[in-house]
Amino acid sequence: MKELRICHLYGNLMNTYGDIGNILVMEYYCKKMGITTTYDLISLEDDFDPNAYDFVLFGGGQDYEQSVIAKDLQTKKAPLTTYIENGGALLAVCGGYQLLGQYYVTADGTKIDGIGALSHYTRSQAENEDRLIGNVKIYNDDFKEEYIGFENHGGRTYLGDDEKPLGKILEGNGNNGTDGGEGVIYKNTFGTYFHGPILARNENLAVRMINIAMKQRYGAEYTEIPFEDVK
Amino acid sequence: MSFKGQMAMMAGKSSQWFLRTFLKRGSSLPGKIALKIDPNVLEELAKDYEIIVVTGTNGKTLTTSLIVNILKQKYPHIITNPTGANLKQGIVATFLSAPKVKDGKKFAVLEIDEATLKNVTQFLQPNVFVFTNIFRDQLDRYGEIYTTYKLIAEGPKNVPSATVVANGDTPLFNDSSLKNPHYYYGFDHLPDGEQLADANTDGVLCPHCQHILHYKMITYANLGKYYCPNCDFQRPALDCRLTDLEEITNHSSSFVVDGHSYQLEVGGLYNIYNALAAIAVGKFYDIPAEQIAKGLQQSKNVFGRQEVIQVDDKEVTIMLVKNPVGLNQVLDTIALAPQPFGVVSLLNDKYADGIDVSWIWDGHYEKLQEMEIPQVITGGKRHKDMTLRLKVAGLEDRLTEQPEFANLIENIKEMPCQRIYVLATYTAMLELRQLFKEKGYLK
Repeated sequence: MKELRICHLYGNLMNTYGDIGNILVMEYYCKKMGITTTYDLISLEDDFDPNAYDFVLFGGGQDYEQSVIAKDLQTKKAPLTTYIENGGALLAVCGGYQLLGQYYVTADGTKIDGIGALSHYTRSQAENEDRLIGNVKIYNDDFKEEYIGFENHGGRTYLGDDEKPLGKILEGNGNNGTDGGEGVIYKNTFGTYFHGPILARNENLAVRMINIAMKQRYGAEYTEIPFEDVK
Repeated sequence: MSFKGQMAMMAGKSSQWFLRTFLKRGSSLPGKIALKIDPNVLEELAKDYEIIVVTGTNGKTLTTSLIVNILKQKYPHIITNPTGANLKQGIVATFLSAPKVKDGKKFAVLEIDEATLKNVTQFLQPNVFVFTNIFRDQLDRYGEIYTTYKLIAEGPKNVPSATVVANGDTPLFNDSSLKNPHYYYGFDHLPDGEQLADANTDGVLCPHCQHILHYKMITYANLGKYYCPNCDFQRPALDCRLTDLEEITNHSSSFVVDGHSYQLEVGGLYNIYNALAAIAVGKFYDIPAEQIAKGLQQSKNVFGRQEVIQVDDKEVTIMLVKNPVGLNQVLDTIALAPQPFGVVSLLNDKYADGIDVSWIWDGHYEKLQEMEIPQVITGGKRHKDMTLRLKVAGLEDRLTEQPEFANLIENIKEMPCQRIYVLATYTAMLELRQLFKEKGYLK
C-alpha cells in the first residue's frame, strides 16, 4: 500500500481558521484512494527533514504566534528551501504563505524576514486601506478549475517574476486587491489566502494535491486517480 | 440630583410606562429619550448602585443570571440587563426600569460585550469586573484573542479601584500590567500530571518568554494549571478553588468549592466555570455558602442554551454552538447523555453566526463517532459544508442532508430515536425555534 507522509508545520501555533481541515480532508480522500497517511507535527526547535515528508501544511496564525514562529522558521530555512526546490508538495495559507516569501513589512515599517524560498513579498495594509474580508472565487487556467474560499487578511502580497498566481480573481480581492491574482504556485508549492479551509471547499484541489505528492514520491509507479473517480 | 437629570429620568420612565402599558413591550427607546435630555443621566441613575459587569467570549449570559440569583439571596434590590442590551441606551433603560428603593444595598449586574466594555467604563464606574474566558470567536468580528483581551482590559484600567474577578485557569488573564486587585477562581481537583494542550489549541504561548506552556492539569482547551517551563510565569494562587468534581452529567453537576458542596442544574464542564465565577462574586460580597448554593440551584436554562422541546414523542434539546471551544464542550456534554440519540447539525453563516464557517474544522466532530448515534441530519444555509465536515469525521454512513429548513421538523419526527440533540449556530437556532412555534411545539 502506498503512503502519504504529512508534516504539519507549526500546527500547534499556526492553526487559526480551521487550517487543520486541509489535513483532515486529505486524509479522508487518501483513504478513498487506498493510500495510508502518517502525521507529524513539526514546531519550535524541531528539525525539519526535507526527505521525510510527501506533503507539508503551513497554516496561518495570530500575530503574536506568527512573530514567534517567524524567528524559529529561519532555523529551518535551508531544509524547507530544499524541500520546495526538489518539488515537494506544500500548501501554505495566509501567514504561512507570507513567511515563505522574502519579507513582510508591518504597519509601522518594520521588516520581518520570510525565508525567501519563494520570491513574493507582503506589506501590511496602509492606513487608508481596509482589511480584505469576504468570499472569493478564482479560476486556474492550467487546471481549468474554479476555486472558492473566504479571505480575511490585512497584508498585501505581490508575486515575483518566477511565480504564478493560484488563480485569477472572478470575485473578491485576492493577493492585493489590485493585480487580479490570488495565491501562488511555484513548482509544487501552493500558497493562498483562502480559508474555508481551501481543500474542504475545493475537494478537487485536495485530490490534485494528493496526486502531486504521490507522483513526487513514487514516480511512474504511481497512477494518478482522477477526482471524478473518488468523489 | 440636577433638575435636568430629574427631567431626563421622568421622561425616560414615563415613556417606558407608555411603551409597556400600551404597546406591551419595553425597549431601549426610553434610554434614548432620557439621554437626549441629559447625556449624563447615567451618572445620576447609577449613583447608589454596586455595579458588576460580566464579559468574556463564552458564558456571559449564564454567569450574569447566576450572579443575580446568588446576590438575590441576600440583597433584594438587583437589576440586570437583557441579553444584547449592552449599549449605553440599553443600560440607561435597565436603570430606568428599576423600582424606587429607599434603603438597602442596590446591585446592577450587567452583561457587556467584549468590544463595548471600554466605552461603558467612560460613563459607569463598576465595582467588579468578571472575566469569564477568552477563546477564538468569530474572527471576522473580534479578531485575535490578544486583541480581545486588550479590549476588555481597558475596562478595569479606566476604574483602578475595581476588583477583577477572573478565571485563574486562563493564561491571558494573568496580566501583571493590569494593576487592579484580582480575585481568581479555578479548578484544583486533580493530582498534578505533566501534560501539554491539544495541538490545535489557541493561546498556549507564554506571554513573557514565548515558550509553549505546560500544564499540571487541563480542564479543557487551554484552561488549567499552566506553567512556563522556561520562566516563572504560572497560574496565580486561586482565591476560589474547586477541589472536587463529584458528579457531572449532561444536565447537572455537583462539586465542592472551598469546602462547600454545590449543585448546578445545567450540564457541561464549561458551565461549572460559569458557576465558579458566580460563586466567586458571591464570596467576594460575603454571601454565606448556603445562600450561594440556594441561588445556584435556582438557575434555569437560559433561552436557547440546552432548551428542551417536546416534538410529539421526541425530546429535542437545542444546544447553541458558535465557536470551536464552545462546540467541543457541547460535544463533551452530550457524550454524557443516555444513548442512543439523534443529532441535527445546523450551520448558518449570517453576521450573527460568523460569516466565515471554517471554524467547524477546528471542532472535534470526530467525537460523535464514539457515541451511539443512529442518524445525523445536516441543515442550514451552509449544509454542504457541514455535511462534508461530518463525512470526514466518519459519520458518512448515517448522514441525511436536508437543504430545506422547513422540512427539518418532519425529519426530526422520523428519526429512529427518542432523544435528539440539535447543535445550531445562533440564527439557525432562532429559525428553528420559529419553526417550532409555527407548528405549535413552542409557545
